[in-house]
Amino acid sequence: MKLSAHYNRSNIIITVSVLLAGAVIYYFAINYIIQKQLDRDLTEEMEEIVSYVASHHKFPVQPDIDEEQVTIKETSLTNFKTVFFNVPFKKVINDDDDNNGRAVEMLVSVNEKNYLLTIAISRDGTEYLVQVIATITLILMAGLFLVLFLTNRYVSHDLWKPFFYLLQQLKAFSVSDHTNFSYSKTNVDEFNELEAAVLLMSSRVRKDYRTLKQFTENASHEMMTPLSVITSKLDILIQDDSLNPEHYKQLQDIYGATSRLSRLNQSLLLLVKIENNLIDEAELLELQQLVFEKKEQFQELITSKHIIVTATITQKTITASGHLLDILFNNLFSNAIRHNIDSGVINISLTDEKFLIQNTGSLYPLNEEELFERFQKGKKSEGTGLGLALVKSICNVYNWDVSYSFISSLHTFQISFAPGKE
Amino acid sequence: MKILIVEDEQSLRENITTYLNSDGNVCESSADLENAILKLEDYAYDCVLLDLGLPDGEGFKVLNFLKEQMRDEAVLIISAKNSLEDKIKGLNTGADDYLIKPFHLAELKARVEAVFRRKAANGNNNLVFNEITINLQGRTVEINGKPIVLTRKEYDMLLYFIANKGKVISKNAIATHLWGDEMDMNDNFYFLYTHIKNLRKKMLDANCKDYLKSIYGIGYKFLSE
Repeated sequence: MKLSAHYNRSNIIITVSVLLAGAVIYYFAINYIIQKQLDRDLTEEMEEIVSYVASHHKFPVQPDIDEEQVTIKETSLTNFKTVFFNVPFKKVINDDDDNNGRAVEMLVSVNEKNYLLTIAISRDGTEYLVQVIATITLILMAGLFLVLFLTNRYVSHDLWKPFFYLLQQLKAFSVSDHTNFSYSKTNVDEFNELEAAVLLMSSRVRKDYRTLKQFTENASHEMMTPLSVITSKLDILIQDDSLNPEHYKQLQDIYGATSRLSRLNQSLLLLVKIENNLIDEAELLELQQLVFEKKEQFQELITSKHIIVTATITQKTITASGHLLDILFNNLFSNAIRHNIDSGVINISLTDEKFLIQNTGSLYPLNEEELFERFQKGKKSEGTGLGLALVKSICNVYNWDVSYSFISSLHTFQISFAPGKE
Repeated sequence: MKILIVEDEQSLRENITTYLNSDGNVCESSADLENAILKLEDYAYDCVLLDLGLPDGEGFKVLNFLKEQMRDEAVLIISAKNSLEDKIKGLNTGADDYLIKPFHLAELKARVEAVFRRKAANGNNNLVFNEITINLQGRTVEINGKPIVLTRKEYDMLLYFIANKGKVISKNAIATHLWGDEMDMNDNFYFLYTHIKNLRKKMLDANCKDYLKSIYGIGYKFLSE
């Protein structure tokens, strides 16, 4: 629900309840005032009769007006307190139309006899007043609804324009590009404040992003320098003629560990870079060319393991980073070779929709869920455990879908270039 | 060859100096930008090894200095930054090659010789080592005047060995040189062995002296004599 709708709803609820409460209070107040007025009228009437009785010692002749009806009854009561009360009021005797009226009852003594005097008057006029008040309240309410509706429909749409303009810019916001927010020049304080806050936030985010980029590069620098010191020390150390085979064996292990550490570090930093979208160079690439080159690059390893490669490659152009695709195919190809058996098979297929690489190897399927996680690797693997994580990240950058399946004893890795379209 | 090493990490600087100081090379070194520019103002070098991240600024200043002065020193950038931007920027500002840390000293020496040869080639593209003559342009090899046919990898390897003659080169260094850093080759020294065996056989068949010595467990050495 839109904010304006929320706002209107509460507005309407509050206004209506205030109006209703007001109407109720108004009703009672007017009723009270009118009753007081009627009672005053009755008292006046009463006093007139009492004074008439006091001077004439008889009741006055009843005037023929139907506005007040006087009844006189003889009573044996000697003590009676004057009361005011509501009575049904009939304009004409035996009239079916039951109106409300107000009456007073009192004790009057004439010539040593006690009479109960009742004077009743109609409340017709006051009822009419209450009706008018109710009608005005209803008209006010209807008018209010209409005004709120129109406000919502036309005024608030214009009022919210700068907000939606800002929202649109926020949706298009990217940390890596440098287009600044443009102001909509509104005179609404809240929106100006919001724009200022968004501007501040975006510049802060961009600053953090730059810091992160800086950090990635610094981390790389800081770790690579000691690694290169170790490597160069080893390179110098092995020049020593006095080393014996046992020393060489130890040194070889240090070499192995060092190169693994540096590869691990490179891969980790690359992974961080990819996941933070720090690599955004893109070029138009002939994918079939790339696959062909990779096949050539790994040819010796393929030959030495007596692996038979069959490739069905069709033309496919793609816009991506050449560097990332190089890493992607390096990992897929070296995995297919490394985990292959002697005299095994590799099938490569490239179509417009997908790239497929299949290889023979272990007789059991791999766990697909864990496969693309970081540091998941086979027991015998000498890799860093980041290869497939890198493949997955690179595919994520371009919204490709990478999946593993075990089809007729072949480990199959498939990259769909347009997932969801199949 | 006269080489200037601009690198702030002391032990690395010393090791590079030690390794390159042979074959009649003379190495001088500088730990910061200011000192490097002072040295370059006073002396001419054949090759400058330039680290980009220096304590008093980026190594690009040295490149700009050399460019402004129209100097013809070959420049090899050695950087821990594996960043495409820096690489392109460096090569566009006049650097001849870009080597990412960590590297093997053998790789560094081979690259230094390669960039130097490229700069100093005066129509003479032949590299001669005793009975071996390598035509760098045509990528052909003659031994005792007779051509031998080498695969691309064997040719690369021979060039690499000659650049590092007299030094023990680790298997890791050779594997990285041949297959690059990104290929995970820890378990593939077997391929290396095959390549070296083939190269050695081809050379011996052409009546070449047996220069290639295997150093048990660690690597190979190409004799300098």
